[in-house]
Amino acid sequence: MIGVYVHIPYCLRKCRYCDFCSVPIDETAGRYRSALIKEIALVKDKYPGERVKSVFFGGGTPTALPAEDLCAILDAIRDAFPLEPDAEISIECNPKAIGHEGLKRLFEAGFNRLSIGLQATQNELLRRIGRVHTFEEFFATYQAAREAGFTNINIDLMHGLPGQTQDDYLDTIRTVAALGPTHISAYSLILEEGTPLYDDVIAGRETLPDPDAVADMEDAGMDLLEELGYLRYEVSNFAKPGFACRHNLIYWHNEPYLGLGVAAHSSMVEDGFWVRFSNESNIPAYLKKLEKGKLPRAERILVNTFEQMFESVMLGLRLVEGIDRAAFSARFGCDVIETYLEAYQKNDRFGFWDHSDPAYLRLNRLGMDHLDSILRDFRERRLIDFLR
Amino acid sequence: MNFDPNLIRNFSIIAHIDHGKSTLADRMMELTDTVAKRDMEEQLLDSMDIERERGITIKASAVRMFYHHTDGKTYMFNLIDTPGHVDFNYEVSRALAACEGAVLVVDATQGIEAQTLANVYLAVDNGLEVLPVVNKVDLPSAEPERVKKEIEDVIGIPAEDAPCISAKTGENVSEVLSRIVDTVPAPTGDPDAPLKALIFDCLYDNYKGALSYVRVFDGTVKTGTRIRMMASGSEFDVTEVGVFAPTWKPVDSLTAGEVGYIAASIKSVAETKVGDTITEASRPAKEALPGYKQANSMVFCGVYPADGAHYDDLKEALDKLKLNDASLSYEHETSAALGYGFRCGFLGLLHMEIITERLEREFDLDLVTTAPSVVYHVYTLDGQKIVIDNPSNLPNAAEIDYMEEPIVKATIMTPSEYVGTIMELCQNNRGVFVDMQYIEADRVNLHYVLPLNEIIYDFFDSLKSRSRGYASFDYELSGYAKSELVRLDFLLNGEMCDALTTIVHKDRAYAKGRAVAEKLKDVIPRQQFEIPIQAAIGSKIIARETVKAVRKDVLAKCYGGDITRKKKLLEKQKEGKKRMRQVGSVAVPSDAFMSVLRING
Repeated sequence: MIGVYVHIPYCLRKCRYCDFCSVPIDETAGRYRSALIKEIALVKDKYPGERVKSVFFGGGTPTALPAEDLCAILDAIRDAFPLEPDAEISIECNPKAIGHEGLKRLFEAGFNRLSIGLQATQNELLRRIGRVHTFEEFFATYQAAREAGFTNINIDLMHGLPGQTQDDYLDTIRTVAALGPTHISAYSLILEEGTPLYDDVIAGRETLPDPDAVADMEDAGMDLLEELGYLRYEVSNFAKPGFACRHNLIYWHNEPYLGLGVAAHSSMVEDGFWVRFSNESNIPAYLKKLEKGKLPRAERILVNTFEQMFESVMLGLRLVEGIDRAAFSARFGCDVIETYLEAYQKNDRFGFWDHSDPAYLRLNRLGMDHLDSILRDFRERRLIDFLR
Repeated sequence: MNFDPNLIRNFSIIAHIDHGKSTLADRMMELTDTVAKRDMEEQLLDSMDIERERGITIKASAVRMFYHHTDGKTYMFNLIDTPGHVDFNYEVSRALAACEGAVLVVDATQGIEAQTLANVYLAVDNGLEVLPVVNKVDLPSAEPERVKKEIEDVIGIPAEDAPCISAKTGENVSEVLSRIVDTVPAPTGDPDAPLKALIFDCLYDNYKGALSYVRVFDGTVKTGTRIRMMASGSEFDVTEVGVFAPTWKPVDSLTAGEVGYIAASIKSVAETKVGDTITEASRPAKEALPGYKQANSMVFCGVYPADGAHYDDLKEALDKLKLNDASLSYEHETSAALGYGFRCGFLGLLHMEIITERLEREFDLDLVTTAPSVVYHVYTLDGQKIVIDNPSNLPNAAEIDYMEEPIVKATIMTPSEYVGTIMELCQNNRGVFVDMQYIEADRVNLHYVLPLNEIIYDFFDSLKSRSRGYASFDYELSGYAKSELVRLDFLLNGEMCDALTTIVHKDRAYAKGRAVAEKLKDVIPRQQFEIPIQAAIGSKIIARETVKAVRKDVLAKCYGGDITRKKKLLEKQKEGKKRMRQVGSVAVPSDAFMSVLRING
């Protein structure tokens, strides 16, 4: 059973902090739809009969494409693979990039989860990070989505934005929670090299809040979200009980997924081997390969068991639930704590583990704050020592 | 056939840094056709990269020139260059001892500096005739008459008819050559007496072995002569003798009055000690030339490879440098914080900087060096005397009766407007005022007695910044004095870091402890936990700072497309960690150990 990810690399305009594969919508969009449908036909033959439990349209802004294109792509997936009856079918959208009619068509076509990018409710903050919409436009989109029939809705928020105060952030959370979405993603802004925001910060034209202030914001936001009934289940993700994003859980459980579209990544089992591969990362190269009838693959690596184990740790520890030790043992034939005993013990001395359920290797909230340093310790484990 | 000694002139040039010594030497070589102009590398005498960059001479060197005088005769000039830094005072004195005269070069825009004065006194003490020369008269700000008067007043030698030259343009340099003939006496000495040759420098050559650069005072030396080093007693058979023309040029023999080199298949410069006298084994001289001293290390520091795996490379590099530098000493030591390395001894702080820089540049090593230390004498209650060159070896305070530290006599020459701030600097560094002389209405010569420990850190830099670069400084060791010293330790997260331990005067311990703790707080990156930094004397904590814990070390997003990238990022971060030293539970950047010494506590 796999998840399918579909990448739509178009936006009305790129945000100043964004380093994702996206471009302003242009004349390639029509060819892109055809190419995607061709790719689906090719992978259908490669993985015949693979059952699909979730589909996720991400971007970019998927709804930058006409709703009929999106529906046609979803139909193609349905034709290619048996979709589970209760499959989660998500699509990301941005306010302004879709109207009432479009949302209605998507819902009717079978999309059952909507993820709306808002980031903050203060228009000044939205302007500074280059969002194309205002809070009011977001609100209209949210209402339209409800009216169209969507009940499972995520809203993306960010903290650590230029000019943002803790009060701004907490106000944003309160305002958004009052709308009653099932899921809230709350990300700390990552300043990525090569983005306009990065250049502005380096040149001193823009300043970010100090890291300690951002940490305070994040902690206060987390408390508030939990208080409002949104339970943290991953580093940056909060949901009402039962509404964790099933598609994203596939990644964090290190389960197979198939990525379609430009720059999409996949983890699949091929001929009994766990492989990770990616598609061409620029649109012309992607289109060219498919128009020649070839799979648009760029890189392909075999992931050995040892690397798979590390990836399972790296992804699994992002979850509040942690790593299911029995599941880990069943998959790899060894216990996760015994395998990484040194790293485990070192971080136990720092008090980073939650010992409440011995069936799980689980970080507490403090440990979650230090996840990367913990992973560096786990990374110290060498394959050669493991084989001994 | 050897050259008529009456036509030989052996001399050196004394000058302050940047007063034009090397430029003058270059002009002399050009005028005497010693080197063709096109073959001149800029400033031929300073040949090491570091020497050229710093504008100082580290090693002495020599060159032979033939000068056609207006009297129709041809003279042989042997110019012996001298190192230009206080660390190499002894080497300077031996180079001067090889000469009969010295050309004193003074910058017409600056006047006499402390360093120059010290070297002129050395020259006079060695019985040299001094020929003053005023340089840089081509500059608009030149005041040759004022400088001449200063030479007369301060040094007490006539300077009325001192040549006024510009080494840069070549103006009047020929007058210097002719004045050398008149001023510098010809060497005396008996070519038939038992051999006496003074080693004024030495150099290791891969093919010839350790070469002695010598001035022959008596007798003759040639290929096949069995020679004896009078201080060490070692004997060798001479394989080659030669002169500096300006590169090595073998000759049949060197005889009384001449300057040249002796090769004898000697394995290390440890056998060719500067200041030693070479004689014939079969017919030894009765007594050696005076003035020989064993070189003593004055400043010590720990030198460690930044990556512990390169210990052997560091050892090999030190072995190689030692071949050419008898004054470098080193022995293995182990530090809890830094692992395996060496405690190295140097003539002074500049010598230390040069050696560590050469290790990094010429041997491509990444080093961690600890703060330098002087040599302390510790007298214990049970009557023992212990010599300490590594602060972390200092015994418990309870076992110590008293301690002594090395003291220097310092000479500082400065425009009088900076006297106040310089006296304050000396006072802050535990200096004891001796006297002050006015050289001129607006220039003074200050004498202080200072603990060596106080001037090895950044005294010189502070002096320069307080005087806007105008003050000059020189010192000589004047023995040991009793002092109230304490051992200052630093604890990181409760664990002592031996590489940071220093010995300081008790009155300065609090300020120093606070300053270092603050500095450490800035250089140690935040980690998973809060890190207390403590300065301690014995069990007493005298300063405390805290490095706050990292708040968030977690990537906000990690989805399907981020997995490979995320793993690469973790690997990169791990590489960064390798440049850190683990002190107990705390990761400390390699350069933290040295940055601590950039503090004038």
